[in-house]
Amino acid sequence: MFFITYLRRELRRRMRQAVFIALGLALGIGLVVTVTAASAGVRTAQSDVLSSLYGVGTDVTITGKAPSPRSPGSGPPKGGQTFQVGPGGAQVCENGKCHNAAGTTTDNLVSGSYGPISQSKVAAVAGLKDVKAAAGGLAVTDNRMTLPKNFGKPGSSLPTPSSFNVDGVDTSHLSLGPLSAGTITSGRSLKGSDAHSDMAMVDSGYARSRKLKVGSTVTIAKKKFTVVGIVAQPQGGNPPDVYIPLARAQALGTAGPSGSLKNKVNTIYVTAASAADIPAVQKEIKRLLPHDTVTTAASLAGQVTGSLASTAKLADDLGRWLSILVLIAAFAVASLLTMAAVARRAGEFGTLKALGWRSRRIIAQVLGESVTIGLVGGAAGVGLGFAGAAIISAIAPSLSATIASPTGQHISSIGASSGAAGPQNFSPTVTHTVAVPMSAVVSGSAIVLAVLLAIAGGLLAGSFGSWRIARLRPADALARVA
Amino acid sequence: MYQLTGVTKLFVKGRRTVTAVQDLNLVISGGEWLAVQGRTGHGKSTLLNLLGGLDRPSSGTIDFDGKDLAKLREGQVTRLRAESIGFIFQTFSLVPTLSAAENVEAALCPLGVRAAERRRRVGAALDSVGLGDRARHLPGEMSGGQQQRVAIARALVKEPTVLLADEPTGNLDEDTRDEIINLLEKLWRERGLTLILVTHDTTIAGRAQRVGVMSNGQLSISQDTRHRTATESMTD
Repeated sequence: MFFITYLRRELRRRMRQAVFIALGLALGIGLVVTVTAASAGVRTAQSDVLSSLYGVGTDVTITGKAPSPRSPGSGPPKGGQTFQVGPGGAQVCENGKCHNAAGTTTDNLVSGSYGPISQSKVAAVAGLKDVKAAAGGLAVTDNRMTLPKNFGKPGSSLPTPSSFNVDGVDTSHLSLGPLSAGTITSGRSLKGSDAHSDMAMVDSGYARSRKLKVGSTVTIAKKKFTVVGIVAQPQGGNPPDVYIPLARAQALGTAGPSGSLKNKVNTIYVTAASAADIPAVQKEIKRLLPHDTVTTAASLAGQVTGSLASTAKLADDLGRWLSILVLIAAFAVASLLTMAAVARRAGEFGTLKALGWRSRRIIAQVLGESVTIGLVGGAAGVGLGFAGAAIISAIAPSLSATIASPTGQHISSIGASSGAAGPQNFSPTVTHTVAVPMSAVVSGSAIVLAVLLAIAGGLLAGSFGSWRIARLRPADALARVA
Repeated sequence: MYQLTGVTKLFVKGRRTVTAVQDLNLVISGGEWLAVQGRTGHGKSTLLNLLGGLDRPSSGTIDFDGKDLAKLREGQVTRLRAESIGFIFQTFSLVPTLSAAENVEAALCPLGVRAAERRRRVGAALDSVGLGDRARHLPGEMSGGQQQRVAIARALVKEPTVLLADEPTGNLDEDTRDEIINLLEKLWRERGLTLILVTHDTTIAGRAQRVGVMSNGQLSISQDTRHRTATESMTD
């Protein structure tokens, strides 16, 4: 075919220039592929963290409105446990009743992070249009604290609370929620008949650190639960430490200032009918539960901090802009060189016009050449992208993801009224930092993007040349040869 | 074949307007060989461009077989060039990356001729200019005379009715010049072409049926009866 022959010969003649343009495009496209791969790696890491938090298949998560921070000097909250430290020593107050706390150990299951939602709302959410399934859960924290005997006296240290996360899971909807992402490494999963039993599953990491195995017991809110299974969550996540039946969590837990958790959940896991329905589902839920927090995976990513978040930001912001700048530069160089080449070949094109070639045939020839160069650049760019992704995977350090969650405890210091600091409240926050492996993987979509960019680069460069050809009068073109 | 009436071509160069062709009236019969002479810059090449539809007149009409080239759309003029008008240039204007055969084939591309037929016609055209054995050679591998022969084959492969030659021997030595002119004359006679040839060379011009001299955009024609028309030669 004459088109191919002419194209091949012309590219061979301008080999050095063609290689230069292709390399420029390859650099830009390679950078885009690398950044895309890095972003995908970061997203995968985020996804691992998020899916371990809320489970696989959860599109939308509803959490009860977080309790508002208490104002300094306010009285002890109803239901929640408060330590008051004053001149008379330490007191622990529960449901408005206070007693001397020094030397005592407390063990409470508290929903401190999220406010309670009526369990009936789970069914209401499940019945919404575009919702495929919904399951309730109770994310609570078991707080244990032993107060020193001299607690509250001048010079005494503050107690350090120890806590672990407990998830009350709906044993009839185990395919939704945090357990859905896990793999059982030992024992069995919870089942419907465990709904009212003191049975627990333990996260493999927690089991390892506490030397727990199937048959061991864990104490939650002073109740002993038998471990029936060990579950491993995806690497890089921040899974709950212990899973117990929802009904048991409801029975044992307290909602901090709001009291009992009976018939309450604080998290609803929702699967939309399709990915496209997620925004609509989010809106519908917002209408149904206007005071609660509706979170999608995308918005949840914003709550993760640490180097994972920094890398995500780096990849999204710096990486994207750097790629765009390099691409613009590569496209501009390719366009300028193509225009220069067309100008040099004006006589040749004039001859072809004299032979009866229409402008569009000549334009097609030039576009064919520049798109071919673009595709070669794209192929080289994909290669560079793979190399860049491999380098990132090889040298990138593990990323850390930090997720903060309140313990639900409230410590207030009444203090001396003349004290400089005055009365203060604080709620201890437990932060979980997990290491997330960073791996950049070139996806199929990144390759498709590279091919599209290569074609776009070629077309753009060729179109500038084509514009010149279209304006070229044959007599003028031939005059340049003479 | 051609009837030019009141043809004027103006070029605007900055603030200056240059008259390249002025109020030209000319009739060229089919099968005629017209040589155009004149000093550089007096409008010879402009006249050739106007006759070939490569440029449009500022005023006047150029009637080519009943069609006014000045009024045809660009696509129609391009089609006309592809089918009926062959060009030969002083600098040969071959595409340097294409072989002799591919350069000749380029003239058939706009006509939509099938590949097999293209190959046959290209081979015949190269044979007719004595370059059948050089089909695969690139222009850079051939002498000037051979390159001009390829250009002639390219101009004639589509079997045009008109051949416009702009200083076809200007870049050639004397022997090669004679060789090329003899070839052109032979083809003109054999094919009944209308040949319009621009040249500085009086010897070459003298072989044409009519000689026109361009001076300041105006053409004066002198009759030369040494040759019979190509059509007349062919009917013998």
